[in-house]
Amino acid sequence: MYKTLGVALALTLAASPAASPALAADAKIGEPAPAFTLTDTAGVTHNLSDFAGKTVVLEWTNHDCPFVKKHYNGENMQRQQAEATADGVVWLVVNSSAEGKQGHVSPAQADQIQAEWKAQQTAYLFDTDGTVGTAYGAKTTPHMYIIDPAGVLRYNGAIDSIPSANVADIEKAEQYVEIALAELAEGKPVSRPLTQPYGCSVKY
Amino acid sequence: MRLRSLLLVLLLTTASSHAAAAAEAPLRTDHLYSRLVAQQATAVPGEILRLGLWLQHDPEWHTYWRNPGDSGLPTRVNLELPPGFSAGAIAWPIPERLPAGPLVNFGYGGTMVLPIEVPVPADFAGDELVIEATADWLICRVECLPGEGSYTLRLPVATEADAAENDPRWGEVFAAALRRQPQAAASAATVSFTAETVELQLPAGLNPAPDAAWTYFPVTPQVTSNAIEPRWLETGDGTALVLPKSDYFTAAPQRFEFLLARGDTGLLFSAVPRADAAPGAAQGTTAPGPGGTPGVLAAIGLALLGGLILNLMPCVFPVLFLKAAGAMEAAGDRALLRRHGLLYTAGVVSSFLVVAGALLALRASGEALGWGFQLQAPAFVAGLALLFFVLAMNFAGLFEFRGRLAGLGQGLAAGHGDRAAFFTGVLACLVASPCTAPFMGVALGVALALPAGAALAIFAALGLGLALPILALGWVPGLARALPRPGPWMDTFRRLLAFPLLLTVTWLLWVYGEQTSVLAMSWLLAALVGIAFGLWLLRAGGAWRIPAWGVLLASLVLPLLQSPAPSTGPAPAAAAAHEAWTPDRLASARAAGEPVLVNMTAAWCITCLANERVALSSPRVAAALEERGVRYLKGDWTRRDSDITAYLESFGRSGVPLYVLYPGPGREPVVLPQLLTVDIVLQALDDI
Repeated sequence: MYKTLGVALALTLAASPAASPALAADAKIGEPAPAFTLTDTAGVTHNLSDFAGKTVVLEWTNHDCPFVKKHYNGENMQRQQAEATADGVVWLVVNSSAEGKQGHVSPAQADQIQAEWKAQQTAYLFDTDGTVGTAYGAKTTPHMYIIDPAGVLRYNGAIDSIPSANVADIEKAEQYVEIALAELAEGKPVSRPLTQPYGCSVKY
Repeated sequence: MRLRSLLLVLLLTTASSHAAAAAEAPLRTDHLYSRLVAQQATAVPGEILRLGLWLQHDPEWHTYWRNPGDSGLPTRVNLELPPGFSAGAIAWPIPERLPAGPLVNFGYGGTMVLPIEVPVPADFAGDELVIEATADWLICRVECLPGEGSYTLRLPVATEADAAENDPRWGEVFAAALRRQPQAAASAATVSFTAETVELQLPAGLNPAPDAAWTYFPVTPQVTSNAIEPRWLETGDGTALVLPKSDYFTAAPQRFEFLLARGDTGLLFSAVPRADAAPGAAQGTTAPGPGGTPGVLAAIGLALLGGLILNLMPCVFPVLFLKAAGAMEAAGDRALLRRHGLLYTAGVVSSFLVVAGALLALRASGEALGWGFQLQAPAFVAGLALLFFVLAMNFAGLFEFRGRLAGLGQGLAAGHGDRAAFFTGVLACLVASPCTAPFMGVALGVALALPAGAALAIFAALGLGLALPILALGWVPGLARALPRPGPWMDTFRRLLAFPLLLTVTWLLWVYGEQTSVLAMSWLLAALVGIAFGLWLLRAGGAWRIPAWGVLLASLVLPLLQSPAPSTGPAPAAAAAHEAWTPDRLASARAAGEPVLVNMTAAWCITCLANERVALSSPRVAAALEERGVRYLKGDWTRRDSDITAYLESFGRSGVPLYVLYPGPGREPVVLPQLLTVDIVLQALDDI
C-alpha cells in the first residue's frame, strides 16, 4: 500500500503546476539584514557578519547633501555616533554615490570630511557600485538602518521626525534612531520600526 | 465724475508701478527666481483674490509637489495677512514624474505658479492691501539645495463697482496653473490591501475614462510605491489599479488620496476602504490592528486547534483511513508507531510550509490569492483525482504493485514504510487544503498579513494540529491499545476504503467540471478509465508491460493536453434565491438600508457545500430571509476572483467559507460561524 502511495504521489506531483519563484527580497523589518562586504577609507574590508553579536547602525551619507549637512552642522549626527559607539554599537557610514556623481569622494577626502565634522563612526564604507544601497533599498541621504546583534533588521527609515533641511528643527524632532537604539538596549521591540526617510536621493 | 475717474486712474497707475517695481526684481536664490504675485491687479472686498508663489527654475532644476515622492520636500508658503483674512491651501497643479535613478519624485520645472485663494473680507477698508509671505523649498537637479524667500505684495483696493481686472503679467502663468488643476472625481474609489499590494478600484462610469495612458500620483505618502507604475486591471466592476505597497507602509490609512493625470486633465480620487468598511462598519478591518485581530501567538494557538479540527473534515477522511490502517499493522510496535508518527508529522508540516511558501511568494508578486488557491488550478484538481483513483484501484484489489513498478516505487517506499509515512503526511496536506475549518480562517487571515517568518510559523502550527492525532498514537499508550488488532478483516477493510476514495474522486471530478467544462471533465474521466486499464494490463506482466506503460502515460498526459480553458459563465444557480455577489451590489443594497446576507463559497470547499446543504438551503432559512427582506448575495471563489479575495481579507480571512450578515443601517456586520446550522442562521436573522 505504501508503495502504491509513493508511485501515485510521484505521478501527482509531476502533474501539479510548478510554483512560481519568489521575488527578490528587499531588506525587511524582522528579517535578516542583507549581508555585505565593503571596504573602508583605510582599505580594510568589513563584512556585516564581522559584527555579529553587536548592534549595527547604517547611515547613508553624501557630504554635499543639505540634509546630511543639517545633521552634521547641527552636531546631531556626531553626538548620536559618539553616544552609540560608547554603548558598544557599531556605526557604519555608507557612501553609495557612484563615480562622477555628487557625493563621490576618495578615501582621503572622506577621512577629511568626517574629521572636519568630528564624526565618530566606527567605519566609513564605500558602496560605489550601489549594490548594498540597492539591497537595503536606501533612498535618501541620510537614510538610517539598525541591525540587532542577531543580524535582524530592526529599523529602516528617517533619522528624525521632521523632514526639513533646517538645523533649528533638530531640537523639536523625535530622534527615531536614538529611540530605537534605546528600546533595543532594553530588550523591547522598536516602537516605530519603519518610517519614511527624507533627504536627497542617493546618487546611484 | 471725471475727477473721480482721473483719480482712480492715477491711483491705479501709481499702484501698478509699485507692483511693477516689485515684480521687476524677483528674488534670486540658488537656481530659482521666485516672487509673490496676484492674478488680479486689484483686491476687491467681498471677492476672492488669487495669490501665487511664482517660480522660475533654471533649466533641469525642479521643486516639489505636495507629495515629493522618494526624496525631496514639498514647497511651503506662509502668508501673513491683515486681521480678518484667511488663506486657503496651495492649489497644487498636476506635477511631473521626476525619475532619479531607481527613485521617483513628483514636482515641477520651468516657469509656474502655485496658486492660493484668499477671500478679501467684504468689510475690508483701506486703499492698499499689503501681504507679506515667506516660502521655503528644496530645489534639485541631481544635487539638491534648500531655499527660502520673503516677499511683500502691495495691491490697490478697488471698490465693488469696479470688477477686479486680471494683471496681464501673470495671466498666462495663472491660466496654466488653473488649467492643470485636478478635478475631484465624482465618486470615491475603494482601496484594499494584500500583504504586498494595494488595489485601487476606480468608481464605475468615469468620464473621461482613465486607462493605462494616465499617470498615477499618490497624494497620501507611505502607502504605494512611488517608483513603480500601476498595473491596470479590468475587473467585473470596471478598472482597478494594482501597485506594490510603499517600502514604508506601516498601516492602512484612514483615507487615501491619489491623482490620475493625462495632459492637463487630472482626476483627484479619495479612496475609501472596500465596501465592508463603508459607513457604519468597523474601520481599519483591512489591517490587523492591535485589538481587532489576534496576535501571532494567539493565531498560532488558533491554527493548532484549527488543524486538529481539520481531522474531522470530510476531505481528510481518506487519508486518516490510510494512516489508521498503517497504524494498526504497527500497533504492537511502539517504537515504529512513534517513528512513523514523527515522519507523518514532518510530512504534513513541511508540505504545509511548501504550499504556504508558494502562496506567500505568489502574493508577493502581486497575485490576489488566498488559502486553497492550489485548488483554483484545474491541473492540481485533475492531479488529485488521478492520485485518489490510483489509490482506490489499489485498495479495491484491482492490482498489486510488482516487478518494475515496485522498483519505481522503491524510491519513495523503501525502508519499512518510513518514506511512505512521510509522504502520507504530504498527502494529508494536499487533501486538507480545500477545507477551512473553524478557527483556521482567522489564523490564516492573520498569517497572510504578517511578515513571512511569522506567517510560516502559523502554517506550521496548522500542520502540527492536523498531524497531532496520529502523532499521539505513538506516545499515548492507551490510544494505540485502543486500536483494533490486525487480522484477516483488514483486507476486507482495505477494500471498503476504496469507496470513500472513489467518492472523493467523484467530488474532484465535479470541481474540475465546474472549473473547466463538461468536455474537459469527460477527458479526465476517460483518463481514469485508461489508468484502470493500464494498471490491469500491467498486472498481466511479461510483454504486456510495455503497452501497459504506454496506456498509463497516455492517460496521464490526456487531461493535461486539454488546456482547461476556464468556463466563463457563472456557476449554475442553486435552489436558494440568491444574487451573485459583487462589491457594487453589496454597496448599493447597504446604501438602500437593506439587510444583506453574504455567502462566500467555492465548489471545492466541502465545508461550504455542507453548510449550504444543511442550513442555507433549508426552507425555514429561505422563509426567514424573505420575511425580513434580506438580500442574499453569494460569491463564488471556485475560480480566482480578486474582488472576493479582497473582501475575505477585509474580514481578516484568506479562504472560504465566510458568512457575513449586515443587519441594516447603522449596525456593524456580523460574521457567522464557519459551521452553520439552521438554528444558528435563524438566530442571527432574528436579531435584525
